[in-house]
Amino acid sequence: MRRSIVPRLILALTAACIVIPAALLAVWSFTARWPWPNLLPERYTPRTVSELLFGSAKLSRLLGSSIALAAAVAVLGTAIAVLTARAEALYRFRGKELIRLGSWLPLLIPGTVFAIGFHMVLLRLGLADTVAGVLLVHLVAALPYCITIMADVTRAVGFGLEEQAAVLGTGPFRAFFYAALPSLLPGVLSSMSMAFTLSYSQYFTTLIVGGGRVKTLALVLVPYIQGGDRALASVYAAAFTGSALAVFGIFEWIIYKVQRGGT
Amino acid sequence: MKKPDFTLILLLLPLALVTALVLAACGAVLLQSLGHVPAFGLAGLTLGYYRDVFHDPDFLGALAVSLSIALKSAILAAALGTALCAALVARRKTGGPMVYLVRFPILAPHAVAALFAILLLSQTGLLARLACALGLISDFPQFPQLLYTPGYEGAILAYLWKEIPFVAYFSLALMSSVSATLGEAAQNLGASPLRAFFTVTLPLSLPAISKAFLIIFIFAFGGYELPMLLGATLPKALPVQAHLTYMSPELRDRPYAMAMYGTILILSAAMARLYALLTRRLMKKLGGTV
Repeated sequence: MRRSIVPRLILALTAACIVIPAALLAVWSFTARWPWPNLLPERYTPRTVSELLFGSAKLSRLLGSSIALAAAVAVLGTAIAVLTARAEALYRFRGKELIRLGSWLPLLIPGTVFAIGFHMVLLRLGLADTVAGVLLVHLVAALPYCITIMADVTRAVGFGLEEQAAVLGTGPFRAFFYAALPSLLPGVLSSMSMAFTLSYSQYFTTLIVGGGRVKTLALVLVPYIQGGDRALASVYAAAFTGSALAVFGIFEWIIYKVQRGGT
Repeated sequence: MKKPDFTLILLLLPLALVTALVLAACGAVLLQSLGHVPAFGLAGLTLGYYRDVFHDPDFLGALAVSLSIALKSAILAAALGTALCAALVARRKTGGPMVYLVRFPILAPHAVAALFAILLLSQTGLLARLACALGLISDFPQFPQLLYTPGYEGAILAYLWKEIPFVAYFSLALMSSVSATLGEAAQNLGASPLRAFFTVTLPLSLPAISKAFLIIFIFAFGGYELPMLLGATLPKALPVQAHLTYMSPELRDRPYAMAMYGTILILSAAMARLYALLTRRLMKKLGGTV
């Protein structure tokens, strides 16, 4: 199979299907006029970029709030995942299957349904249409991935170092922070990066649970796509994708550094 | 392993709280779908709203559309994603730039995938322009309409753009380890690469592939953005129809919307149950464990 040409073809086709739309997005972002049937635009313009930066949607504020929200989801989701993974790997108890089912549950329930139900529950709790409510619903969406990642890493790292530290007289919290956490760090970072991108791209859950009062970049992007102005939609999509990739890149770079420093 | 103690309760408490919220959310939807909405002066439990929506041709059309979108995108994504995964393993590209590239569609939100579909596949999109430049068509109405059609081809293609890489990435770790050990062994014993793949590597990679299939099916069945942005006016996809009913100013429509959401919920749960049963039987047959 390695000598066959088929795998090469599959990979080349895949790369084309991913790179071409991304390039097209970049071109459309600056397009002023692109009449049929030309293969390239006739005229380019910076109008869309100035609309993006100085227009009604206030990009800087949107970026700030979306990133802050996603970062909070990343930290909280990963913290919960670290605790759950520890319980699963360290203890023998009845109902372990239930824990696994519970952590998988949000993947088995379509986001549209639990967003609606969540909104009703949050209305009771007085958290509907608030940032805290949106944070909670994003957390639910991210948790299955965080827990899967942390469970794998926790099982692989084990508890040997921590036990040694405890034997030498270290308290449990110090033992965890100094002996276990450094080896868990790559997993912690990839869990955070996963949770960040999931929260960053939530649309329906934010729309319903935020009740239109909580605005994120993903939320304002959709009306532009519905609106039919391809250039404006493209520049917003490019800003969205670019900022998400930048944060993702930073996480990957830190993971790379940590792993190289650690071994 | 340790025995349960107080620390265990503390460790599991956050997940338990979140799970309780999720179950409460499902319960709230189901309760309203049975007609219990005290805030709107509706009380008592009845299956009447389910009976009514299942007699409504718009709802039945939406249900059929959503099942078809979910089945087509999950089957095609699983098959093509497995092929992509096998190609990555065969070319030893299990890390590095190619994998980063493959992860891009997974990270991109559905709205961006929808925009890509519009820019590429619409009748004045890049593919139509290419077809015209190559002389395949002479004007844009001759290009096949893929977006806003009752068959939801555009939404399915956009799902595939996201989910083929998802299947490949999700199965990559398992398939590459199976291939490097038992797959190589089969080849050393004289199996052709293709035979080693289909009789050893593929069956042993099935747990990951089938799990990815389930996740995609449920996601595409309940997904809102892609059918909303790329779909036809009629029939609507079920989540779009449900949201429309939910937003209706007529408060008495609320239980009907909830019956639609309830249907999505119940069918997704049934699908997950079916998956659990099938994988258990399959694993027994193969003599392995999940």
